[in-house]
Amino acid sequence: MYIIPAIDIIDGKCVRLSQGDYDQKKIYNENPLEVAKEFESYGVRKLHLVDLDGAKAKRVINYPVLEQIAQNTNLEIEFGGGIKSDEDIQRVFDSGATQAIIGTIAVKEPDTFFRWLDRYGPERVILGADVKDEKLAINGWLETSEVSIFDFLKEHASRGVKHVICTDISKDGMLQGTSVQLYEKLMQAFPDMNIIASGGVSSNKDIEQLQAIGSPAVVVGKAIYENRINLKYFLPKNPQQRQLSKRIIPCLDIKDGRTVKGINFLELRDAGDPVEQAKAYSDQGADELVFLDISATNEKRKTLRELVRKVAEQVNIPFTVGGGISSSEDVSRLLESGADKISINSAAVRNPDLINELSKNFGAQCITVAIDAKQIDGQWKVHLNGGRLPTEIDLFEWAKEVEQRGAGEILFTSMDHDGTKAGFANEALAKLSENLQIPIIASGGAGNMEHFKETFEKGKADAALAASIFHYNEIGIPELKNYLAQQNIPTRI
Amino acid sequence: MMNKPSIAIIDYNAGNIQSVLFAMQRIGVEAKVTADHDTIRNADKVIFPGVGEASTTMAHLRNEGLDNVIRGLTQPVLGVCVGMQLLCEHSEENDTECLGVIPQKVKLFQPANGEKVPHMGWNKMYDLKGDIFDTRQEEQHVYYVHSFYVEEGPYTVGLTDYVLPFSAAVQKDNFYATQFHVEKSGSIGEQILQNFIRL
Repeated sequence: MYIIPAIDIIDGKCVRLSQGDYDQKKIYNENPLEVAKEFESYGVRKLHLVDLDGAKAKRVINYPVLEQIAQNTNLEIEFGGGIKSDEDIQRVFDSGATQAIIGTIAVKEPDTFFRWLDRYGPERVILGADVKDEKLAINGWLETSEVSIFDFLKEHASRGVKHVICTDISKDGMLQGTSVQLYEKLMQAFPDMNIIASGGVSSNKDIEQLQAIGSPAVVVGKAIYENRINLKYFLPKNPQQRQLSKRIIPCLDIKDGRTVKGINFLELRDAGDPVEQAKAYSDQGADELVFLDISATNEKRKTLRELVRKVAEQVNIPFTVGGGISSSEDVSRLLESGADKISINSAAVRNPDLINELSKNFGAQCITVAIDAKQIDGQWKVHLNGGRLPTEIDLFEWAKEVEQRGAGEILFTSMDHDGTKAGFANEALAKLSENLQIPIIASGGAGNMEHFKETFEKGKADAALAASIFHYNEIGIPELKNYLAQQNIPTRI
Repeated sequence: MMNKPSIAIIDYNAGNIQSVLFAMQRIGVEAKVTADHDTIRNADKVIFPGVGEASTTMAHLRNEGLDNVIRGLTQPVLGVCVGMQLLCEHSEENDTECLGVIPQKVKLFQPANGEKVPHMGWNKMYDLKGDIFDTRQEEQHVYYVHSFYVEEGPYTVGLTDYVLPFSAAVQKDNFYATQFHVEKSGSIGEQILQNFIRL
């Protein structure tokens, strides 16, 4: 079944009436094009556009809205309201409508209606039948008649009308359910007609009821605007969009309670207040946060716990804390303060059993092992102590061991790339990702938006972390995520 | 005088208790972290969080007598992540008999196309039916961290695709549960918590 969202226009604005009463008007959006585009972005194919000014004035008024939507979207548009003359209907089609909905004229001037039906064909002319108690209503519901809907449709079916939008005006805009029984009766009486339901949809259940009787389509208005139904629920599903998102992770290096940023692991610059930044990043759509404490002493680490607590209170996305963690007690305290994951680095190299212990005590899901590495004579060697101390340990062997010992995730920083803004270490990252089953976070080298795309595609990274480009506003997170989504990278927006 | 609803967060060795408490504070709801049986039984709503390994956690619940307390609750209960898994019948994680409130099974992801395990990060949920959801959450991202999942079954009220479609949420009688971390799922998670509080 198709869901056809409705846009009703008064004064060029998107409004809804209750039971066709112009005094009970609610403006939903000043800009109908914006609304149409939003519908289109959900996968809507067809729009029900009604000129309420036109219905009242007995001539089409809001051509500009029709033109705008027709020119700026790929939506099919069924247009109604005020189509009374040959000029009106011609101009409606010229303005970009796919179909014209004819209501009042069909009742009052049947000859004109059938002339239009012949001229434009049954695919382009929709009979708009407004009904109350199985009787016709006309003129934008401003008048009612004594004509039975069954008699009316019988004649039109015999004359070749194919599409009928049947609006129960006692239900329309009332959010109290649809006239399912009427539609069922009409569908049985006129099996060759395409009877489109309209009016009263208030919940997913109403739509499901129409689906159950085999209704081909339903026009929905107020229920969408009032968030009673979610269009996305009923539109064709796109499984591609349901992939696990690639995560964007701003990293805050913390020293003495402030964010700092080093260049090639040396020279530190002050980069702001971590709690404020954490809140701002999460509001902008960051997927996770990482805090790495580079304070040297245990005294300062106590400050870190307070910081973690403040962040946890304010931020509604997950965050990882690392720096100076060397025991289960350290981890306990950080998790109790509100951290979701912890990250260990040098301590894991010095005492690999620590990984097993933490994984067992707290679960693999909250143990991230951070690895800093640099190429020496073409070999990736693990470095300790914030990159100052080289070891003979091979990156890939260590990463494998880390996984086997129970880490939930690896945060790999290429020291060769860090601070260069020339892109991530995608070759090494791809190799890590292929060798391991746990997620890999890419770190070091982000300079522009393409670098993120490359590290997800070529580097096969599950997440990408960066610091300075976010801190100094060189790349905004919303802008980056929109870009990635356009590049078909699964992204949470 | 109207009393504010009392919310109990079950205190046991789960890693995300603080996060759940903070999330409640963010939506302006007071909650109490407690292991006291009577306080839990008398609360208007109970949240059963969970991060950790199933068998250890179940053993802990049994030692504390919390297993019977949870089974006997009649007010709305919200299980989160491992809390959801423990409400089920059985978990493949160390072959653990769980609380059996929701007759569905917990299984280990068997990646077929190189998917990473744990399933970590933001995924959309869809086909939402449960009372803790409204239309705003359909096809929205929520945050997951888990290696085991609850199979799709009669009490599934929302799905997420990862390796296969699995239960993003389940609901049976007064028991509600989400596999994703509702307390860490941004504003979408907060909407769901608010819906739960309003039940």
